[in-house]
Amino acid sequence: MGVTLLVGTRKGLFLVYGDDERRSFEVEGPHLPGWSVNHAIADPRDGALYACANSWVYGGTVQRSADRGQTWKRSEGLGLPEESGLKLASTWHLEPGHASQPGTLWLGGEPGVLFRSDDFGTSWQVNDAVLGHDTREQWSPGAGGLITHSITLDDADPERLWIGISAAGVFRTEDGGASWQSANAGTEACFSPENRFPEVGQCVHKVLAHPGRPGRLWQQNHCGVYRSDDHGASWERLDENGLPSGFGFALALDPADPDTAFVVPEEGAENRVTSNGRLGIYRTTDAGASWELIVAEEPAWAAVLREGMSFDDEAVYAGTQSGHVYALRHDEVVEAARHLPPILSVEAAAWQ
Amino acid sequence: MAVVLLPGLLAGQAGGQKRFEVDAATVGEALRTLPVADLVLDERGEVRPLVHVYLDGERERDLETPVGERSRVLIVAAIAGG
Repeated sequence: MGVTLLVGTRKGLFLVYGDDERRSFEVEGPHLPGWSVNHAIADPRDGALYACANSWVYGGTVQRSADRGQTWKRSEGLGLPEESGLKLASTWHLEPGHASQPGTLWLGGEPGVLFRSDDFGTSWQVNDAVLGHDTREQWSPGAGGLITHSITLDDADPERLWIGISAAGVFRTEDGGASWQSANAGTEACFSPENRFPEVGQCVHKVLAHPGRPGRLWQQNHCGVYRSDDHGASWERLDENGLPSGFGFALALDPADPDTAFVVPEEGAENRVTSNGRLGIYRTTDAGASWELIVAEEPAWAAVLREGMSFDDEAVYAGTQSGHVYALRHDEVVEAARHLPPILSVEAAAWQ
Repeated sequence: MAVVLLPGLLAGQAGGQKRFEVDAATVGEALRTLPVADLVLDERGEVRPLVHVYLDGERERDLETPVGERSRVLIVAAIAGG
């Protein structure tokens, strides 16, 4: 089966079609020209496309297409209640709901907010428990703002999911979003001069639950790479096992192997380019006990943002801020697209 | 009927239509009738900070300002971004 990559850029959404072998790719687009697409998905339940399309003038939107991007419809009434004292600044991440909840989607946005839709994205309801979380005063924005950028579900339990907010940390719900508990034990806030292991305030860059092993989570943080085997109750640090840096944004998994993960380390917070003058994808196949380098491009001073890497059963895909997309299948790296606008997100999807 | 003119990005969100004839007594009413009202105004009904509204050639910041039968309301995106 081939793949469609939904590549969100600063100047619209591109669809990149790849063949069965992930060796030949074709670029279509841009769709939503002029809009900055922080993230886009194809809902595996019905094939509809959804995009977090943002404009520095007209704000954050969610757009839905039922015809593979030919026409789009904007969600209605997206905003925050007046009593919150907050306004929606931008939309960041879309996640299809559990397989047992057709029509349900989750949306993360700025400033540190979460929405749920139960009508295929036509309308959205803000999650009050995140909006009014009793630790919110301790949250502070990262370079991208105070953003809810990760939403990852537990395939085994529709009531359990995790969100990642920069810089607030990881939060878990076990009651479908009615309440949220911090899940940051063992993750460091290395930038904090006061408390390096606070309850909240960590700068998570990406968190993903493995679809095949309940309880296993991976996290790329501002301050390290971590794995949890207990639903986020505790985290083990892994970047000191062979990565050139603990700093990075992108994270990908292998759906067939919960011990495999991929990251793209960067020099550090003060110099956000890929480590050692190359675009290197680091892979672990032993749950983070060791890492091996796969060079995608050299020399290169690239950057892959937090939504910039994705995966399917066949390959891992990475899009750079310099507008290139790479596919890694087994140990072979293929350039899938070049000279796109700065890439904000990549999602892999199979057409129905 | 007053006329509201949209820039290209907004027109794209309004089915490609750039010109709207609206039956409105004020600037705010004219904006709220648009199919892209949620992009021009935020969730409080306030004009977004980088949206500039011109009424008959003059920058207009007060949504309560009356519009006439032959008024032209122009929406312009501030010079920003990259």
